[in-house]
Amino acid sequence: MKAIMISFDQAHYENVIAVLDRSNARGFTMVELTQGRGTKTGEPHYGSHAWPSMCSTIITVVDDQQVEPILTRLHSLDEDSQMLGLRAFVWNVEQSI
Amino acid sequence: MSLYEGAVKRPIMTSLAFLAVIIFGIFSAMKLPIDLMPDIDTNTIMIMTYYNGASANDIENNVTRPLENTLNSVEHLKHITSNSRENVSVVTLEFEYGYDIDALTNDVRDKLDMVSNSLPNDANQPILFKFSTDMIPIILMSAQAEESQKALYKILDENVANPLARIDGVGSVSISGAPVREINIYMDANKMEAYGLSAAQVSAAIAAENQNLTGGTIDVGTQTYTVRVEGEFTDPQQMRDVVVGTHNGAVVYLRDVARIVDDVEERAQRTFTNGVQGAMIIVQKQSGANSVAISRKVMDMMPTLQKNLPSDVKLGIIVNTSDNITNTVNSLTETIAYAMLFVVLVVFLFLGRWRATLIISITIPMSLIASFIYLYATGGSFNIISLSCLSIAIGSVVDDAIVVLENVTTHIERGSAPKQAAIHATNEVAISVIASTLTMIAVFFPLTMVTGMTGVLFKQLGWMMCIIMTISTTSALSFTPMLCSQMLRLQKKQSKLFKKVYGPIQRALDGLDSWYERRINWAVRHRWTVIIGSFVFFIFSIVLMKVVGVKSEFFPANDSGRVGVTLELPIGTRVEKAEVVAKQLADTWMGRYGDMITACNFTIGQAGDNNAFASLRSSGSHIISFNVSFCPSNERSVGLAQLCDEMRADCKKIPELAKYNVMLGGQQSSMGGQQTATFEIYGYDMDATYDVAVELQRRFQESDIVAQALISRSDYEPELVIDFDREKLAQQGLNMQTAAATVRNLITGSLMSYYREDGEEYDIKVRYEIQNRTSVEDIENMLIPNGMGRNIKVRDIATVHESAIPPTIERKDRQRIVTVNAVMKDGEALSDGVELGNQLISQMDIPNDVIVQVAGSYEDQQDSNRDLGTLAILIIILVFIVMAAQFESLTYPFIIILSIVFAFSGIIFALVSTGTSLNVMSMLGGVMLIGIVVKNGIVLIDYTQLMRERGYGLIRAATVAAKSRLRPILMTSLTTILGMVPMAVSQGVGSEMWRPLGISVIGGLTVSTILTLVYVPSMFCIFGGVGVKNQRRQMRQKRELEGKQGKGTEIHSRRLI
Repeated sequence: MKAIMISFDQAHYENVIAVLDRSNARGFTMVELTQGRGTKTGEPHYGSHAWPSMCSTIITVVDDQQVEPILTRLHSLDEDSQMLGLRAFVWNVEQSI
Repeated sequence: MSLYEGAVKRPIMTSLAFLAVIIFGIFSAMKLPIDLMPDIDTNTIMIMTYYNGASANDIENNVTRPLENTLNSVEHLKHITSNSRENVSVVTLEFEYGYDIDALTNDVRDKLDMVSNSLPNDANQPILFKFSTDMIPIILMSAQAEESQKALYKILDENVANPLARIDGVGSVSISGAPVREINIYMDANKMEAYGLSAAQVSAAIAAENQNLTGGTIDVGTQTYTVRVEGEFTDPQQMRDVVVGTHNGAVVYLRDVARIVDDVEERAQRTFTNGVQGAMIIVQKQSGANSVAISRKVMDMMPTLQKNLPSDVKLGIIVNTSDNITNTVNSLTETIAYAMLFVVLVVFLFLGRWRATLIISITIPMSLIASFIYLYATGGSFNIISLSCLSIAIGSVVDDAIVVLENVTTHIERGSAPKQAAIHATNEVAISVIASTLTMIAVFFPLTMVTGMTGVLFKQLGWMMCIIMTISTTSALSFTPMLCSQMLRLQKKQSKLFKKVYGPIQRALDGLDSWYERRINWAVRHRWTVIIGSFVFFIFSIVLMKVVGVKSEFFPANDSGRVGVTLELPIGTRVEKAEVVAKQLADTWMGRYGDMITACNFTIGQAGDNNAFASLRSSGSHIISFNVSFCPSNERSVGLAQLCDEMRADCKKIPELAKYNVMLGGQQSSMGGQQTATFEIYGYDMDATYDVAVELQRRFQESDIVAQALISRSDYEPELVIDFDREKLAQQGLNMQTAAATVRNLITGSLMSYYREDGEEYDIKVRYEIQNRTSVEDIENMLIPNGMGRNIKVRDIATVHESAIPPTIERKDRQRIVTVNAVMKDGEALSDGVELGNQLISQMDIPNDVIVQVAGSYEDQQDSNRDLGTLAILIIILVFIVMAAQFESLTYPFIIILSIVFAFSGIIFALVSTGTSLNVMSMLGGVMLIGIVVKNGIVLIDYTQLMRERGYGLIRAATVAAKSRLRPILMTSLTTILGMVPMAVSQGVGSEMWRPLGISVIGGLTVSTILTLVYVPSMFCIFGGVGVKNQRRQMRQKRELEGKQGKGTEIHSRRLI
């Protein structure tokens, strides 16, 4: 079991959900409004006067073999509209109930 | 779910909701009446008190004064004026505008009850009535007749006046200039004397003969019959055989002493239209009815009416007030259509995308149509003010939608799906869109609170703008994002044709951007030069205003194509003389103006008692009143004011004329009439004030800028006074009443009986032959019968001498007054007239107890200037508050508010260079500018601030922001400026009224936009620079302090060791 944290510009919401659906990843947890900025070029998303846009963050826990297709699809989504910004990070899930 | 999210997710609901608004709007628009001005409520109450037999002086002291003293305490009273003349006192109360006249009427009635006990016993109960603009006739029709002239009154009454009066909304229809049929019995004074008959005997005999009586009922067999005596004359000539008395045992018939003339009334007004005699039909509306709708119905009815008339009677229109209204409203509607076209073009030019242009353009009709619902609900109308308001709004309603659309486009270009882009992009700008609408509302809402005459004009405008702005913002936050989500697509490739057409525009705009960037780069580095330069420019404009001078007036004159002329020959001139003069003038004018005149009508003579229309205006044998109608202003090359001046010159050439008054628009009024400087001369001594008035009038007439000067007080009127000797009267067994009544009957005629024909009644008037009442001797020879059967000559019991009736005593605010009205020549400003008047007065030798004061339309203008000044300050404060709240700063609003002064300079330049005068309309433009100018500043400062927050340096933030905001600012300014261009250049009917508004907005906005684009970044850098310096100093001080503290602790610790 792996956890994928996807942090993305709000505008990507529907696309990201579509990727999860296509990849049979049913379960997820989402924080609708999160703030952040990219390491290199990513514009800040602060919801402030200067940087009005906001991010959302989704954490989905999937089987190991599902990770790769999800990341590929998310990557191509990011490639399509680089200005918006989308990042995904994967880590192990030690235990769950 | 927020408003825009809901709208984007439910496109059908959103579009249908707005469709519903539009349908309601169109429905309301169809029901809206058309008028020239918003409804100005009645603000005048008149109180008439009859006190028979009292002289003007007695009336003033015993009736007018007590009334004035009591009524003066009624609330909201602006002025109290009065006329005291023989037998009657007329007190006029003028209230402040905007109060409920019914409540005020009740107050006045209460006060009248209080005072009525202290009035003289013989004075009648005061009569109170409200005067309103509804009493001004809406249509004057002419009827030209040849053979039917004598029966014209009856023909018109049955076939024209009655059908017209049945039209819904028509108040009254009266006929003037067509004399009514009358049976005149002219007695020969000599024969009467010879037979020893008196006039009373004759008229009593006629009345006794002219009777129908019932004699009860009788039973004949099984039947019951009523008995009737039918003695009424069936032909006037039957009266010839009436026995009027006996002489020496022989019967005297009426034919022996009198002749019977079946003709028309002796003294009546006569009306000539285009040189042919006829009559005038006056149509007045019911109060509250719409004049355009009524006159349309009247015009529709005209052909049917004409068919029912004898062939020689021709109906025509002298004045149709609704023509001017309809033409004016039509030409204003045309300018609105042009404005809309220009705005759409500007939007397309800047956005370069037809879908975007469509989305923006839809907002315009939507917001405007929604405002019709408000108009309909509050009983408003399409008028100059409400339509100007639409024209003003066109440029501003697109602003919000543009901001939203621009941000949505940015989001789409960054890769968002249109739907997501629409929601998030709108969310980002929602606050600033609402804030900018709040600033506009801060400007327009205070307009709804203005009082007085100006308030009447601005109230509707204020509400409409607030509503339009609110609707446009709501639509920008719901309808626009919805449309964006449906229609906008990421444009990857543009078509070749588009590139070919739009390419040059794109390059020009890019070029402008970089040119502006270079300028702004220089400006922020030489900011003090820029600021000083800007303010030097402002001071220059003030100096220009002082040196060249901006003319001022209250309200632009309205070229309605209508001129009213009242001419007065010396009092007592016979009507035949008046006719000659009138014909001479009519021929001159019709010859000179030819096709330009559509109707030239004049009325002469003394009006009868039963003529409602004529009783409203002065009439007399020496007075001629003209109604001249010209074709609409866009069909002739000469302005109405100039025509008036030429007509005045013609009047001046006629030496017989004692007074002439040429009135542009047909009546005297402070709005829409010609510029008139009014001077009031207060003082108790009537001769002293009159001398001052005459002198002032003479000096005004000598000046080059005054077209005519008139004094309100009339001359002494000649009269013949019969002084009966009481003792002699008593000896002859007579009293004053019988004697006076007899003389009256011999001159005016006694009315004891009526002649009936076809259901109509005609007066039978018995009096002396005309040649028996033409001199003082004739009066002296008149016979008065006494109780003993003898006829006494007037000369035996009375003396007849010539005298003069003193003029009416006029008072204003409880002081005696004479008014001098100086009408300015075409193109001369009211302010110049007032200045000239003040100069003339200072040169004159004015007695101590006489005070001269400026009033009238100049007073209105001063009032409205004061109101607008207060309003401007209020608006500025409100706008400041809104901005300070938005920026959470006091500095930025200050920078922006300062930029308003450049708009002021722009207005001055525009007015001076076009020679337009400063009036209510141009000032309205100035007030509106505050909102628009401030909006530009907000956009600039807001973006610069944003750049600073993103970490840009001061100068770089200012230049980058300025460059990126250049297009939005130019776009909003250009939409407003171009929206006003059709108003400023239009030549249509009524354009003279709104041209000042267009000119001042264009001038003010052009100058202020250009200056704002340079001044705001520079000013931002100055304040920002000070801020940065302060920050650095504080940091340095802090560092130094820390350094010292560091050293201090070192020393301290050493000591401890």
